[in-house]
Amino acid sequence: MLASSARVFDLSLGQMLWSRRSVFLGFLLGGPVLLAAAIRIVTATTPFWRFSVNGARVSGPGLFGMMMWLLYIRFIVPVLGVFYGTALIADEVDDKTITYLFTRPVRRGAVLLGKYLAYLACTTLLVLPSVVLVYFLIVPLGGGRVGELFPSLLGDLGMLVVGLAGYGAVFAWVGARLRRPLVIGLVFVLGWEPSILLFPGYLKRLTVAYYLQALVPHAMPQDSAIGVLMQVFREVPTIATSLLSLAIIIAVTLWSAVRAVEDREYVLDQ
Amino acid sequence: MIEAAAPIVVTSHLSKWYGQVIGLNDVTVTVPVGITGLLGPNGAGKSTFLKLITGQLKPNQGEIFILGERIWGNPALYVRIGFCPEQDAFYERMTGLEWVSALVRLNGAGEREADERAHRALEAVDLLDAAGKKIGAYSKGMRQRVKMAQALAHDPDLLILDEPLSGLDPIARRKTIRLVKEWARSGKSIIVSSHILHEIESMTSNILLINQGRIVAEGNVHQIRDLIDTHPHTVSIRADQPRALAREFLAADDVLSLRFEDGAIVVQTAKPDVFYARLTELAANGELGSIHEVTSPDDNLQAVFQYLVNT
Repeated sequence: MLASSARVFDLSLGQMLWSRRSVFLGFLLGGPVLLAAAIRIVTATTPFWRFSVNGARVSGPGLFGMMMWLLYIRFIVPVLGVFYGTALIADEVDDKTITYLFTRPVRRGAVLLGKYLAYLACTTLLVLPSVVLVYFLIVPLGGGRVGELFPSLLGDLGMLVVGLAGYGAVFAWVGARLRRPLVIGLVFVLGWEPSILLFPGYLKRLTVAYYLQALVPHAMPQDSAIGVLMQVFREVPTIATSLLSLAIIIAVTLWSAVRAVEDREYVLDQ
Repeated sequence: MIEAAAPIVVTSHLSKWYGQVIGLNDVTVTVPVGITGLLGPNGAGKSTFLKLITGQLKPNQGEIFILGERIWGNPALYVRIGFCPEQDAFYERMTGLEWVSALVRLNGAGEREADERAHRALEAVDLLDAAGKKIGAYSKGMRQRVKMAQALAHDPDLLILDEPLSGLDPIARRKTIRLVKEWARSGKSIIVSSHILHEIESMTSNILLINQGRIVAEGNVHQIRDLIDTHPHTVSIRADQPRALAREFLAADDVLSLRFEDGAIVVQTAKPDVFYARLTELAANGELGSIHEVTSPDDNLQAVFQYLVNT
């Protein structure tokens, strides 16, 4: 199974990297970099201007933490998970190329796993440089030390990979199991997750974000409405619980996706 | 190599339906070693049958044995099967060589072996010169041939070809037919589908006739040959010089009518064998320019089936 997945991975990675979806991903990931560059330019050309939220000044590392949380963790990573995860098999079906993969001596589950690994490699290769660029542009603002905070950057990068793995696995399952997976996925990440996280109770445990937020290493700004909101968001489990839960989510959803693909018939329109 | 007497495909009371629509209805059939033609008009159930025997679809009822084994959920069997689907779908950004080689690697071959096999397969379908070109830049005929190459590159015992001659020019058709026959002579088995009797007949006399989801006849179907002669056969041709070709056709006795449609010449002929032979000669000598594509609607066969059902 693993050897077959590796072969599918080889075939799929290049296809994914040069797909239209990756162009979209490039635009999506260019946004935070452009925003960071704009902030940096404004700060450099306007000596007395400092970034603030509700009047409270935010340091470079604090701003980077906010960008990580609000742009990457809460938006880019889930959206990438939805767009790529739901399309792992659907793209091949739409393009009618699935026949070539499903008539080879490779288990269908291995096709899905290989494509999932290709998704993870593709998105990681594209997301991490964007984050690193934002880090170097934003952290030095207000005297933040790039070298000193580097370990937290590694933590951020690791968390992003875990996030991509988690959302990708969930939406690989949604894509393998349901019709109209993209709509369902977008409703989940843009509707269900943000709203349910605002309420106390157990329902938030039915989100990926709940477990992911425990891994955010940054202290959020405290002296503002956003800070209060962040604290609500950060009602979180321990890191160990989060990692274990995310590992279970990834394993269970991937296994379910493999089962779904193995059992399902794909009827191509002629 | 397959044992001489063992059938390559055995189905028993095989049925497949899509919601309320019946794709295949209670088909019990045994396909022997060699070349077998699956003949039927569009929508007859050919593709459903091929998808079932290639394990892409799961039967609602009945059983299928391919080379003695069940196919659904048995990917190991694909080592012995090569499938050339009807759909014109590819990884367009890959070159022909990259694509075929990548698919052979899925069969378990190492990189070097896969490249060698891909080379051989592309050579067999006369596409080695274009092996380094992106598939997106291939002509219709080249795309059809690269599809054939991926099906035969891993040297399967059973080759299943869904409408392999569709859209090919006359010379490519002749080469493909020759390739299929050579393949069969080397001990392999081939199931080839088409909606054109003439195409099937040029490869084999062992035919499965399918219509409305049922196998209506099988074996050496001479009656069909006689029937087809009583129904005019329509051929659509795209060429560099359609008017010059049309003049040539009109001089022939077997051409019943001729018209131009969307830049193609549409000919009705009473003798398809004679007509196709002449067309291949014209394409080979090139005096009247290149012939790019030859297609035939299934009206001819539909008329024959109508007759069969009524009698």
